[in-house]
Amino acid sequence: MTHKEQSFISKYIFSTDHKVIGKQFLWMGLFFLFFGGFQAMLIRWQLSYPDLAVPVWLLGNFLFEGGRMTSDHYNQLITMHGTIMIFWAITPLLIGAFGNFVIPLQIGAPDMVFPKLNMFSFWTFFLSGVVLVASYFLPGGTAAAGWTSYPPLSTPVGGIPGLGQVFWTLSITLMGAATMMGAINYITTIIRSRAPGMGYFKMPLTIWGLFLTSILNAIFVPVIAAGLILLLLDLVLGTQFFITSSIVAGIKEGDPLLYQHVFWIFGHPEVYILILPVWGVVSDLLSVFSRKPAFGYKVTAICMCTIVALSSIVWGHHMYTTGMSPLLGKAFMFLTLLISIPSSIFFLNWLGTLWRGNLKFEPPMLFAIAVLWVFGLGGLTGLYNATVTSDIYLHDTMFVVGHFHYTMAASVLLGGLAAIYFWFPKMFGKSMNPLLGKLHFWASFIPLNLVFFNMMVMGYAGHHRRIFNPMEYEFLKPLAGLNEFVTIMAIILGAAQFIFVFNFIYSMAKGKKAEVNPWNAATLEWTVEAPIPHGNFAAVPTVYNGPHEYSHPKVTDRDWIAQSEPLPVEG
Amino acid sequence: MRRIITRNWISGITKKLQWFKRGAWGIWFIDPPKDVSLDGHRIDSVIQYTDTVITIYFGIVVLALIYFIFKYRTRPGHKAVYDKGNSKKHVAITVAMGLLVFFSIDVVIETMSFRDLKEAFWNFPKGDDVVRIEVMPQQYEWNFRYPGDDDRFGPESFSDMNSDEVWDEDESFIDANGNGYWDPSDDIVLMSEMHIPVNRPVVIQIAPYDVIHSFFLPNFRVKIDATPGMVNAMWFQAKETGVFEIACAELCGNSHYMMKGKLVVESEEDYNKWLRSQEIEGPRDDWYDPDYGLFHWGWEWKEVI
Repeated sequence: MTHKEQSFISKYIFSTDHKVIGKQFLWMGLFFLFFGGFQAMLIRWQLSYPDLAVPVWLLGNFLFEGGRMTSDHYNQLITMHGTIMIFWAITPLLIGAFGNFVIPLQIGAPDMVFPKLNMFSFWTFFLSGVVLVASYFLPGGTAAAGWTSYPPLSTPVGGIPGLGQVFWTLSITLMGAATMMGAINYITTIIRSRAPGMGYFKMPLTIWGLFLTSILNAIFVPVIAAGLILLLLDLVLGTQFFITSSIVAGIKEGDPLLYQHVFWIFGHPEVYILILPVWGVVSDLLSVFSRKPAFGYKVTAICMCTIVALSSIVWGHHMYTTGMSPLLGKAFMFLTLLISIPSSIFFLNWLGTLWRGNLKFEPPMLFAIAVLWVFGLGGLTGLYNATVTSDIYLHDTMFVVGHFHYTMAASVLLGGLAAIYFWFPKMFGKSMNPLLGKLHFWASFIPLNLVFFNMMVMGYAGHHRRIFNPMEYEFLKPLAGLNEFVTIMAIILGAAQFIFVFNFIYSMAKGKKAEVNPWNAATLEWTVEAPIPHGNFAAVPTVYNGPHEYSHPKVTDRDWIAQSEPLPVEG
Repeated sequence: MRRIITRNWISGITKKLQWFKRGAWGIWFIDPPKDVSLDGHRIDSVIQYTDTVITIYFGIVVLALIYFIFKYRTRPGHKAVYDKGNSKKHVAITVAMGLLVFFSIDVVIETMSFRDLKEAFWNFPKGDDVVRIEVMPQQYEWNFRYPGDDDRFGPESFSDMNSDEVWDEDESFIDANGNGYWDPSDDIVLMSEMHIPVNRPVVIQIAPYDVIHSFFLPNFRVKIDATPGMVNAMWFQAKETGVFEIACAELCGNSHYMMKGKLVVESEEDYNKWLRSQEIEGPRDDWYDPDYGLFHWGWEWKEVI
């Protein structure tokens, strides 16, 4: 398939090529990752040095009058940090960038099924980002009701000044629309455009992860969009879906609890929306760098499907302390704990992939193994929050913050970095420096654990969330030292990312030209040479093998065989 | 100017490097706040059981990882074994191990948790012994209401009290100088400080004035949300006297971090003495305002929540 010559604008800006759109999402995701990460540094500074001005190297004097953060600023920072990291950093990086770049290439398709919808998805997403960033310039500042934005705090009743909450609601609704367009596109492409011979159980697990993520997105993003539109009506038109004007209990008008249900019906699957692509990528990478097939491929895929199904009926575990009926509490607890069965099975399959392999510790592999570590810890610590009694104590403490940073932030960040290191040669046709990659890995992995693990320790000691100055409380005073330690580690973690930035930009400009298949991987994207033309494959490939045919006994001259190569006939 | 600021934060940090002064390892030896409640140990023991078992499992995973990383690292002459892990044996082993994890952790903590909920946290005490308190958080204070001498909340009826006419028409709410009372009934209403007797069950019912708050007692291991439009309930019992902190655990606005209260646990005698000292006859304040909602709060005690 050939395309006629294109102008700069239609080639790089309003492009319908999934690879260009993928890169656009990548740039935007990386921008917001650093933007949101920087806000985390400010939050950490405030938690450990509540009586010191924010220093110059954290732009203290530029951002706050006299470098002094106020509690309004603090609430805005925690709100925007969470919102940005979830919706504008992780979502575009894993789903937007790699979903776009990898799906058509790995399934042997020339492009997405709806290329224009794809372009429209990115530009809607871009617009949502503009609205979000614009809210920083509002007179009253950004939204400040937490990333969950529970009403009535997020409505005029709550007393947050200005239009921040309105912009927040609008931008997330727009983001949801963009995500919906992407999800429909991904699902249709995966169902309709697979190359001949690519059965569902011959798809790489990355595709499985992205496929299931898109299904969850298509089902649950409309739920939050509906909820946020109702919230928006409460905000600007004076309706009372989620507000009650009664000053004493018992008079029912709107119901704030309804919002929490709507939010978490979306919010819990959202956790899996973010992590499923990582599970897929990690399963594939472990196989590539262990030089052996993914252990229990089919079982892993089925486990992921089971978790997707279960994830939609466990949202109540976010609400154990809302005065939930005992029957519901028990039911949600049981359903939540059921998730540990499929999770442990596919986790063991990951270990099984390493078992008797030929492990090559390239940067993507280091990050993939690190995901095993952080996801293992994050998954196991979820048990405390799934259990009603221990959650009564740990709910809304730093324990929860540490736990979801392990599962969502650490797993997804490390998994996303693994994906970047892995597909960089295909995206840009250049190799990244492996030594700097390994340095970046160790400089990230160690402080990252010291940050998030100690957050859990602090939560266990009773440190509740979202407080501007922990020193207000006597029982939190012993935690001052630990808070300070965590902040120092967080700043090291943040600084370490500049190794990555340097490596990324330097390699793109001056890196060695990458080989067609630098990792000796078997999936289809490694059969075409970068830069891949619009239309991808010169001829539609035929798929003969599964995605992980490494060290196959019939292949004698090398330890891999591409999906599009027939196995040699014996004889 | 810039240089001075820089020096300030540097000297500030060096002065405040507590974790370093104490020895870097000291900071990890942190216990949760002292448990002074009858049932807090139940939550601690669920947490400790989970701690122990997940440490064992995570330890096994880490040991396996380290072993695999050394044993199967790439080197000349080393080859991977072509094994898809699809055989019935492999699938059976992974599924069995998944079930082992489920039964050894999940089922156990679920059983413990159900038992504790049934025996303690959701088993509300009844009888004359019970201390009943209504709690109304607002931005950024805690209000407490005790039933007073008649042992019931409010005057005749709260539904009357909530309508404005009562406040203007009923003479008994107006003192000799024509000012309204702080509170027409014998209820004791307090701000930010809550007193309870030791070794007696305390039931609180809670509903907020404005936004969602959460009543958190770190020393009792319990918390309950206060959501507008609904009354929630929780109970706890102190086994030691002392003064403890009440924290708001749900983000409720810019001064959320300062929304703390004081919980005073006293001996039976001290508590009764304190209670009597609060029961003041006659008008309390001359700044009563019938239009201000905060004067109207309270509800008739709900026997079944």
